[in-house]
Amino acid sequence: MTSPSNAYVINRRDFLMKCGWLSAGVTVLSSCNSIMIALPSTTDPELEDSLSWIQVLPGGKVRFYCPRMEMGQATSLGLTQVVAEELNIGPQDIECVLPDTNQTPPFKMTVGSEGIFEFFKPVSYGAARMREVLRLLAAEKSGFPTNQITEDRRGFILPDGGKLDYGALVPSEPMIVSADASEKTDEVPRQYAFRHIGEYNAIGHRWKPPEMEAIVTGQTVFSRDTTLENMLYGQVVRPPAFGAILKSADGRAAKAMSHTVSVIINTDDNFVGVVSSDPFLLSTAIDALDVQWELPENLNQEQIDAQLNVKTLRVRDDFEHTLKNSGDISKGRRAAKHRATAHYGTSFALHAAMEPRAGLAWVKEDRVEIWCGCQDPFFVQKRVAQAIGRNVGDVVVHTHRMGGGFGGRVPCQASEEAAILSAVVGYPVRVQWDRETECQNNYFQPSFSHFIDAGVTADGLLSHWQHDFVSSPIITGLVPRNIAWILDKVMADEGTARGSEPQYRVANMLVRYADIRTDVPIGAWRGLGAAPNTFAIESMMDELASTARLDPLEFRLQNLSPTSNRLARVLRRAAQMSGWHQRPLIDHGLGIACAVYKGQTAVAVVAEVKIDHAAEDVRINRIWCAQDCGLVINPSQVENQIMGNIVWGCSMALKERITITAGEVEESNFDTYEILRHDETPEMTVALIDAPEQPPVAVGESAFGPVAPAIANAVFAATGRRIRNLPISYDSLFSNGDA
Amino acid sequence: MVAPSIETPSGKEDDMKIVVNGKTTTIPKEYRDVRLLDFIRDYIGLKGTKYGCGKGLCGACTVHIDGVATRSCITPLAQTEGRNITTIEGLSGTTTTGSLHPVQKAWIEDDVPQCGYCQSGQIMTAAALLRRNPDPTIEEIRDEMAGNLCRCGTYDRIQRAISRASKEVGK
Repeated sequence: MTSPSNAYVINRRDFLMKCGWLSAGVTVLSSCNSIMIALPSTTDPELEDSLSWIQVLPGGKVRFYCPRMEMGQATSLGLTQVVAEELNIGPQDIECVLPDTNQTPPFKMTVGSEGIFEFFKPVSYGAARMREVLRLLAAEKSGFPTNQITEDRRGFILPDGGKLDYGALVPSEPMIVSADASEKTDEVPRQYAFRHIGEYNAIGHRWKPPEMEAIVTGQTVFSRDTTLENMLYGQVVRPPAFGAILKSADGRAAKAMSHTVSVIINTDDNFVGVVSSDPFLLSTAIDALDVQWELPENLNQEQIDAQLNVKTLRVRDDFEHTLKNSGDISKGRRAAKHRATAHYGTSFALHAAMEPRAGLAWVKEDRVEIWCGCQDPFFVQKRVAQAIGRNVGDVVVHTHRMGGGFGGRVPCQASEEAAILSAVVGYPVRVQWDRETECQNNYFQPSFSHFIDAGVTADGLLSHWQHDFVSSPIITGLVPRNIAWILDKVMADEGTARGSEPQYRVANMLVRYADIRTDVPIGAWRGLGAAPNTFAIESMMDELASTARLDPLEFRLQNLSPTSNRLARVLRRAAQMSGWHQRPLIDHGLGIACAVYKGQTAVAVVAEVKIDHAAEDVRINRIWCAQDCGLVINPSQVENQIMGNIVWGCSMALKERITITAGEVEESNFDTYEILRHDETPEMTVALIDAPEQPPVAVGESAFGPVAPAIANAVFAATGRRIRNLPISYDSLFSNGDA
Repeated sequence: MVAPSIETPSGKEDDMKIVVNGKTTTIPKEYRDVRLLDFIRDYIGLKGTKYGCGKGLCGACTVHIDGVATRSCITPLAQTEGRNITTIEGLSGTTTTGSLHPVQKAWIEDDVPQCGYCQSGQIMTAAALLRRNPDPTIEEIRDEMAGNLCRCGTYDRIQRAISRASKEVGK
């Protein structure tokens, strides 16, 4: 081979400078593309995208521009381990960077527990490609052919026994390798992420997130912690209710304050904002404003509930989407020896991430810079550009680790506000939402209203399954109203329907739903429809087992579809850990539930509850969870996610609900919107099923769905009273009628 | 437009002083009503103490005042005169070696944090608990930590890490 590098290595410092790739090193690059409309980034990654994510720096250290934002789900660590696997390196040889918008081509928003299952393959591919390019460089440098150059930690071994470290192969000049050229390395490089479990050196190991020490010493910079010299402090007066219209605003008193830099009032845009030079006095200017709003009429919980009521829709037989229609429901009903019908409901809910959102913006003549933590920096980039009438290409979003996301931070409204204010004053402006602002002004999880009619034959098999439900569109929830109505005509929202197909074998099945937009802003919340739909399905399975006097575990096992081996395994495992067949103590009960999240991740949960009559309280004592998510890249982090899902599930079961009155969310802080606290948390046992031969799948939301129904079923076991609406309360449990 | 900046009033005789992580800072008179949390973050510039609710409901803002866990978001500066305040940044300084506090070490060992935002407050509450009660039972840990919310759901590991740290403290 003669001088192969001329064929595929291009020296293009200018290009790198333009792209913001200022550091020297090797990048395998594919073409950049960008979408110009302000919608969330929804394109799935392709293999070639990965070429721009991995860089080898002079000295041999690998820099990984992680195409996922980090909010505690540790995807950035998992993918770092995949890169390390391909490049034969250890934790100290790689740095993971959450990229700014000018450091990589756009990538999909960080949602849906997709970080590993969608990105595992392309990241592995890009890193393997990089390894083979480095091997070519080693061949060029040593004169030996590539097939005689073997791999070693951080480098290669030559046939003469010499060692070539990556550091010795990377030039000091910035350099990129085009995608076309890198194909000359080999047909398709071998991807070690797909090798046998015993051979892994990074995958499957409990690598520690590199940020740990910074987090425990308070050094991690979240968006609220960013500062710039000459930074000013802004706040926007948000509408007090959904759909409130700004009638008038008097800013004279605020303007007269010496620390006030600017008061910006724009009634056409519903905008009132203040910029102050003093973070401690900013609120005095806000308090001095006289702002009048026209409030929406009749936007109350009752009215919203009436719009999203399955009973009403059933009377009108008005379900626009049919998910499943097989066999003959009436025939199935006739075959039923035991039949059950029931309505179930779950509530509107908040994300309640611990960090209320914040943004810092600096609008300059030639460039707009934003600092924020969000799940879709490329969406924030577009929305900021739109808000201040600039080109998308002028806007750079510097990303931060988020203090929780859970679907609630696809946009960052505080950044848009900061940009509008900064554009007026010409200085960097910081906007931080407080908890009350966060509770009212984001988007929400919609309520779900279900009806299920199902039955059991004399043989203990499901005779029929009719499930009708209604909620709001979730995935398209953020689409502006003027486009949404067209979309709604042609689209069934898959987020609303997530988890609504039962994992059971039923010959006669009908699953229908309606996704109706109300005046409440809706968007992604952990698992979207999965938890509400699983609650209905798994509660009905429990009702059927009880009606037919069958053991809920055995009843599920004998009705699983034939392809559900993995689900059967987790069910048995969870039951075995919990001592399922032991007789419970008085006022105690065990409940079981299961689901397959996104058709990928099999999860079973057993809950033990105790009814504390003295304290008038429902306590969740213990949760056992077994999960099969295929290859586990970092067991400690996967276990962390599962425990987080369990806590969230307990919280949904016992606590979470918002109530809307005149367009206002009544729950404005943690005193009224309670989430599960430490002393209410059950003891938990998590088992990961060993299935390394299976590809890694969704983890961040997978264990959540079965938690609430397992708890509700446990309450039934303890009391004989059926929970059909969440959250559960002791009072409603022991009042008359359905809980 | 003139570049605006925060006016830093010159120190006067009657100015209050506050000691944060061993360092004395003078509090300008007009800031006496400011919350301790905001002062620590935006005046002193220590960003490790977090805002979560502003009402003492979530514990993200927990600092030590004379060794006692206190919610800085509902503590007016005026109440802190002459008191010793320790933030997460100063916690390791409270150990004899100046290395990470046993609670911080245990947090890393048990992979506690997920997003990490609430963890400064969790760690400060835990460290104050162990100072008062070096060998707490699980029930005592659960009760003490009930004031610190974590939306990621790290409670189980927090409890394990505190138990681990208590063994270290007890040595």
